[in-house]
Amino acid sequence: MATDLRISNISKIYPGCIANDNVSLQFKSGKIYALLGENGAGKSTLVKILSGVISPDNGEVFLNEKNLKLNSPLDAKKNKIGMVFQHFNLFETLSVFENLSIDATEDNKSLRVRINEIFKKYNFSIDLDVPVLNLSAGQKQKVEIIRCLLRSPKVLIMDEPTSVLTEQETEELFISLKKFCDEGILIIYITHKLKEVLSLCDEVAVMRKGKVVSVSQTQNEKVETLANKMVGQKLAKIKKKINISKNKDEIFKVKHLNFYSDDPFETNLVNLNFSVKKGECLGIAGISGNGQNELFQILSGEIITPDTSIIFRNKEIAKLNPKQRREYLMAFSPEDRISQAAVPELKIYENVALNNFKSSNFFEKGLVNERKIKEHSKKILSDFSVNTDNVELKSQFLSGGNLQKLILGRELITAPELLICYNPTWGLDVGAINYIHETLIKINDQEKSTILISTDTEELLKLSDRIAVIYKGKLSKIMPSEEVTPEKLGLLMGGGSID
Amino acid sequence: MSLDISFIGILIGSIMASSVPLILAASGELITERSGVLNLGVEGMMIIGAISGFALMVITDNLFIAIVGSMFSGVIISLIFGFLTQSLLTNHVATGLALTIFGIGLSAMLGKNFVGIPGKEFPILFSSLRESIPFFGPILFGHSIVLYFAFALPFLTNYFLKKTKLGLVVRAVGDSPVSASNQGINVITVRYCCILYGGAMCGLAGAYLSLIYTPQWIENMTAGRGWIALALVVFATWSPIKVLIGALIFGGITILQLHMQAIGFRIPVQFLSALPYLMTIIVLVVISRDSRKIKLNTPTSLGRIFYKEK
Repeated sequence: MATDLRISNISKIYPGCIANDNVSLQFKSGKIYALLGENGAGKSTLVKILSGVISPDNGEVFLNEKNLKLNSPLDAKKNKIGMVFQHFNLFETLSVFENLSIDATEDNKSLRVRINEIFKKYNFSIDLDVPVLNLSAGQKQKVEIIRCLLRSPKVLIMDEPTSVLTEQETEELFISLKKFCDEGILIIYITHKLKEVLSLCDEVAVMRKGKVVSVSQTQNEKVETLANKMVGQKLAKIKKKINISKNKDEIFKVKHLNFYSDDPFETNLVNLNFSVKKGECLGIAGISGNGQNELFQILSGEIITPDTSIIFRNKEIAKLNPKQRREYLMAFSPEDRISQAAVPELKIYENVALNNFKSSNFFEKGLVNERKIKEHSKKILSDFSVNTDNVELKSQFLSGGNLQKLILGRELITAPELLICYNPTWGLDVGAINYIHETLIKINDQEKSTILISTDTEELLKLSDRIAVIYKGKLSKIMPSEEVTPEKLGLLMGGGSID
Repeated sequence: MSLDISFIGILIGSIMASSVPLILAASGELITERSGVLNLGVEGMMIIGAISGFALMVITDNLFIAIVGSMFSGVIISLIFGFLTQSLLTNHVATGLALTIFGIGLSAMLGKNFVGIPGKEFPILFSSLRESIPFFGPILFGHSIVLYFAFALPFLTNYFLKKTKLGLVVRAVGDSPVSASNQGINVITVRYCCILYGGAMCGLAGAYLSLIYTPQWIENMTAGRGWIALALVVFATWSPIKVLIGALIFGGITILQLHMQAIGFRIPVQFLSALPYLMTIIVLVVISRDSRKIKLNTPTSLGRIFYKEK
């Protein structure tokens, strides 16, 4: 039976922001639809309305020409609309089975039978009796999907499903989604990743500032056309001028970096040796979980390892803590913006002050010099085009892109000689990514060096002068980036060799 | 002092009796906390239960009405807490503290006319068996119905949380109210129910003190037991069975150290008085040191205010 979902003139207004402005869209089963837009374009609001989490100020939703009243998530469930949220809606301390059984109407025995049928049909395999907190992000997502499938949904909405997945998991997800689609489930796929739209979806609706700006067949679209629709202006193409000159000084040199851990969730690092020249960007590629976390923490001084030698500007710094390393003009931008780089509950200027460096006069005789910090913060906000000038704002209210700009600004305003960043554009939209890439290139132009640890191969190829791949805690040969192709990188990242 | 076997039996029986209010209050609070609500008003709810139970007994001369009434008054006072924290979204900690202060004051006021009135004897079960079997008699028999209920309660609570659908819903709400709400569970209703249940159990715990354990009304007669119950829940890492163990250790050492004081051990009295607190914490910390289990039992959203998106 065909499903037809129609959204008609939906509006939702929050104080100071029109999240959805007269949105009308139509979806039919048998196709995968993309809802594309930057962060804050109103995609999430729309799907929250469709799943009954929030109710619209105006407008109606029709399923097979039946007007739906979606006042609570229960209503969406009853009408067979399933939803997989970006931030998983799972109970971490409960077991997988308990998570699935919580709203089931049948008894546990027949539920187990049905879950196993789904496992078989789609090639899933997850231990039902372990607590959810032990699962990987990909497995958690599968639990969410199974929870929807158990209710035999007509519509399945996926909200930015790949933001936490590895490439392998993403591929698996796409295979499953195509299967669901063939079985007649209408799939709405929300994302800001253009490539995913092109490789997975049949039709794409682009949203900008709460409005639908275009609906089209994906076969008629290209990355550039979609990007321009999404951002609303022509994006400059960024490509770094690669500069490898042999006779530049090595500013940073790592020797015999070994790391061993008993924790099964950590990766051991085996004898890493590399160096970075002045004005150079060294890219470190790899699928997440191959030791990047540990490497970043060792380079930043959060973990001190014995017998490792790290020479920075002709000084041995391997035993120094992050604060001391900062004083030697290193700067760091960790992967997790919310929990590692900034304290979300603190105000912007307080977050800026956290990273106090020796030369600043933020603190005098143990007291906080609020005026100085605020002035300094204002300068960061304007220099790095963060879209607020209110330094009293709590950092948690900044979008990912703006928070990343703030963090980079905080690190760069000290004019460091070396910036080490880990997935700096993770989860950001095209506009913010572009800005951050431009910033990173500018650093190199000013003869400062960067180490870019990233899981995004495109980003690495765009920004790095030389690239190495980390796989299971081992580093590959370091290659000049003009010799590197995406295929080569993919092979190395999967554990293959190219020689 | 003769340390014969029947004396030990009687000693154990009295230890059990002294731990009943802790078990009741802690089991009730455990359910409340498992749903993510931190109610620090245990002491206040207990003392209200104690005075209302005693007052109803004096007025109606009916112990059944007194017991049920004490639970009902616990429900009413916890309803205030529920309304403030769940409907008006006030801070759990501040509201709970206020509830305790309010409860102690109100009970003192209500209890003015009941000071010095003798209590009524509470019926005990199987009193003939108590005398006829040595050692086990005083342990197993001759107690009030409330004691038997109290000792069954941790097991029932455990079964409820682990095996029943409703228990699963309570745990889910305590883990992540947002997810639960998105799954169509009415978080506020679940939390209200858990708060009211906690109130009823604290009321009963108070009534046990004023009607059964020391049958009379004394101002501030709960004497901090509510706080001990609260601490037990945390140190038992939200496991009902460990709450029972903790309550017994606390009751046991309280009684033992009293005997030791009476005998005149050459240990400072202050140290002996502190012993129950110290030992209970040490034992519970030792038996609950499995960090993985702690993580699984701890209600992640404990004390956090939940409001529904509109």
